[in-house]
Amino acid sequence: MSVRVLIVDDSGFFRRRLSAIISSDPELTVIGNASNGQEAIEQAKLLKPDVITMDIEMPVMDGITATQKIMTQTPTPILMLSTWTTEGAKSTLDALDAGAVDYMPKRFEDISTDKNQAHQQLCQRLRNLAHKTRPYHIAPPKIVKSVIKTSLPTVSLSRESRALRLVVIGTSTGGPVALQKVLTQLPANFPYPILLVQHMPATFTPSFAERLNTQCKIQIKHAENGDELRAGTAYLAPGGMQMLLKGNGRKPFIEIQASQSTQAYKPCVDMTFDSVAKIYPKETLAIILTGMGADGRDSCHNLHDLGSTIWAQDEKSSTIYGMPMAIAKAGFADGIFDLNDIGHRLAGLA
Amino acid sequence: MAALDTDDEILQDFLVEAEEILEGLNEQLVELETQPEDSDLLNAIFRGFHTIKGGAGFLSLDAMVGLCHKCEDLFNVLRQGEKIVDAEMMDTFLKVLDILNSMFDETKSGVFPSPADPVVLNQLSVYLEGDTAPAPVVVAPKETPSGDDITDDEFEALLNQLHGDGAPGIQSNEAAEPIQPPSPAKSGDDITDEEFEALLDELQGKKPEAKPEPEVKAESKMEPPVPVKKAEVAKPEPTAKPAAAAKPAETTVRVDTSRLDDIMNMVGELVLVRNRISTLETALEDEEMAKAVNNLAVVTGDLQTAVMKTRMQPIKKVFGRFPRVVRDLARSLKKDINLELRGEDTDLDKNLVEALADPLVHLVRNAVDHGVEMPDIREAAGKPRQGQIILGAAQEGDHIILTIADDGAGMDANILRSKAVEKGMMDEESALRLTDSESYALIFAPGFSMKQEISDISGRGVGMDVVKTSISKLNGVIDIKSDVGVGTTLSIKVPLTLAIMPTLMVMLGDQIFAFPLVSVNEIFHLDLEKTNVVDGQKTIMVRNKTLPLFYLRKWLASTFNETDKSQIEHVVIVNVGTQRVGFVVDQLIGQEEVVIKPLGALLQGTKGLAGATITGDGRISLILDFPELMATYAHREY
Repeated sequence: MSVRVLIVDDSGFFRRRLSAIISSDPELTVIGNASNGQEAIEQAKLLKPDVITMDIEMPVMDGITATQKIMTQTPTPILMLSTWTTEGAKSTLDALDAGAVDYMPKRFEDISTDKNQAHQQLCQRLRNLAHKTRPYHIAPPKIVKSVIKTSLPTVSLSRESRALRLVVIGTSTGGPVALQKVLTQLPANFPYPILLVQHMPATFTPSFAERLNTQCKIQIKHAENGDELRAGTAYLAPGGMQMLLKGNGRKPFIEIQASQSTQAYKPCVDMTFDSVAKIYPKETLAIILTGMGADGRDSCHNLHDLGSTIWAQDEKSSTIYGMPMAIAKAGFADGIFDLNDIGHRLAGLA
Repeated sequence: MAALDTDDEILQDFLVEAEEILEGLNEQLVELETQPEDSDLLNAIFRGFHTIKGGAGFLSLDAMVGLCHKCEDLFNVLRQGEKIVDAEMMDTFLKVLDILNSMFDETKSGVFPSPADPVVLNQLSVYLEGDTAPAPVVVAPKETPSGDDITDDEFEALLNQLHGDGAPGIQSNEAAEPIQPPSPAKSGDDITDEEFEALLDELQGKKPEAKPEPEVKAESKMEPPVPVKKAEVAKPEPTAKPAAAAKPAETTVRVDTSRLDDIMNMVGELVLVRNRISTLETALEDEEMAKAVNNLAVVTGDLQTAVMKTRMQPIKKVFGRFPRVVRDLARSLKKDINLELRGEDTDLDKNLVEALADPLVHLVRNAVDHGVEMPDIREAAGKPRQGQIILGAAQEGDHIILTIADDGAGMDANILRSKAVEKGMMDEESALRLTDSESYALIFAPGFSMKQEISDISGRGVGMDVVKTSISKLNGVIDIKSDVGVGTTLSIKVPLTLAIMPTLMVMLGDQIFAFPLVSVNEIFHLDLEKTNVVDGQKTIMVRNKTLPLFYLRKWLASTFNETDKSQIEHVVIVNVGTQRVGFVVDQLIGQEEVVIKPLGALLQGTKGLAGATITGDGRISLILDFPELMATYAHREY
């Protein structure tokens, strides 16, 4: 059963290009297109696509408003095609807030110099998003429950309460909204510093940090070279770079490194977590939230073996159950929780 | 520069869309000058640049991306009301459009567009800078701790560091920019405002963006001009089941216009065959046959309309350039003119749209240059300072009426008459006999200029005589009305399509001739007693108007015999250019739609003949070209 895609873009040229790229994937079928937000809502109702690609700037109704409406009327996974510039950051983040699950640059060169590779990436994202039939979107707080019986909340809590010094969170697709949900639950006096690694382009992370900072009680900072860790502050890894923890357990500080072209993720969860493992091998709580791929698995394995605590988001609440699944399948998660539960439990540490 | 594959369908697809958008931008920008705060308009223009940028980015046309990106940024600022467009900024935008146009040309000819003029890019940056003025005070000390002596190189390094390597879009733009000169407004800093802004963006993320409001108006304006394209926004039929919906989503295909021309030709042939069959059928008196022939006629008619529609384009495609033409010209002449467009959505044949473009440009320029007076003169005459030019299009039956009306000084027929005498075009007596509208028509005569000195405006492009010739070539008719002090209205009547022509078939001797129906004004029986000879020219009075009368037989039929003349003759009054002329014909056959076929080698170049066609009864009929016919036989220019 192939994945049915609805294309929304006001440019006929772009619709045709997207259509050609998407149709080239045997698993994807373009079932319709719309040239503005209003049409997109109608088409989404009529055609019930498995996934929608959405442009932002459109006449009649823009993509953000349309996303909002589609998510309330006929929830469908939506992939935003946005401009990866600083200006584009805000509207893309708005779109994610409105319920879009993921975003890709309109200019494919932003993700790969090889066009075919970028096209494949687009198709792969669409396939992945579509497999999540009912997108998880800002659900009301749920009854706390853990999925894995072997790791009861008491166990995990006792483990990190031993000597917790740092919380690290790694995430990718669906991360912006997930982080927002988790971090907004934390009180201003949250007793630990937090390192955040969100796969995101360089042009987006400053806006994202700023936005989180206005939404959360704790401080959120776009991490800078030399930042010393302070309790109640979360440091967001800058896009396009690598964020490492350096120094020693008494006086750790952040080092921002240029990323190598060989590194698939910029920032990379594994790189940050591995550097953390050297400073706080036992005293770290590492959390892997929604995301495609398996970034974070190896470093969590390492942290787990050293004695740190590992949490992963559960399948149900994950936008993309990839990175958390990698942790769960490898069997070193101390807890697998619903997204609401993660925030709740973290807040409980205060 | 590397070569582009111009056969590439993707590239062609982009160019088609981008040029449409560019035409729209041209219009919208001029409109914006009168309504600088219209947010729908600002949003539409923003999106226009945004879309071109997107497409150009897809094709790696970096120079185009860079230029559009700057404009997009600037319009983002404008649409948030942080700045208001002024005439100077508008000049820059219009320059940008010119640059984009030449970039398209370069792209079309297969080369990557060359980078935009740095002066223009620079200018855009200067406009962009102004908007985040309040912030520097806060940020400057933070980023330039040593105070002030930061060099451009250092700054670049700093910027690069801030950027990381993940922003190719931005970097390529900045690479294309020359080093910005310091803004005069903030000469105290050693870093320029442009750099500041980039820095600010990096540090604090971008300022909030206004959400575009729904805009129905702008949408309808952006509608693609080719009707075929409308299909692509058409919604799939509600009844379509998911399985059926699996067919490709795009419902349009690009078709070479020459292929459409071929189809049109074949439909033309079909029309001829239908004509032939229905003529044969009338002789048969077979009811079944009659039914079948009727059916054929209906289907052929539908097919003909359908094919014609695929070739139709809204006149907007031509009209779109006029706001710009009028604005630029009025600005250079220091006149204040408002152009109003009417009936832009009127559809007509693609070939006609193209053929009308140049003549219309000339006529509109003429209205701006010669028609509308200087503001002071207008005021003195008790008129509003701002002149008005109305450019209109409307469909009337199977032809299109285009009007160019100005509320300027109008033309004085007497001055025109004396001018004609002065130029030795006619003697005083004939000049006096000219009706007012005949005198107005003098402006189309070669070498007839009303302006003492030829301005660079009138000197440009085609002359008025060329305008008339090209309109006549389209079987068009020009009519001028003018009132001194009130204004001039020029109307042009052209057939909807050139491919299939409705004609009036007439007999001269034993030969059939076809008159283009669009030129035929009226037909009546004439009592030859009522003709007069004026100046050696036979004339008739029609409703108190004296029209020259000609015996077509004399010119075209080999067997003309004066004694054949009967007392009552059929006269067809024909519009030739700006004139009306009567032709005596032997027999009227009726109306028939024909397809013009070029004349064979033997007859090629015969004066007065537009071509030939095959009539319903299988005979060959020659189609007359009246302007040429008159020039050849009546020795008069019309």
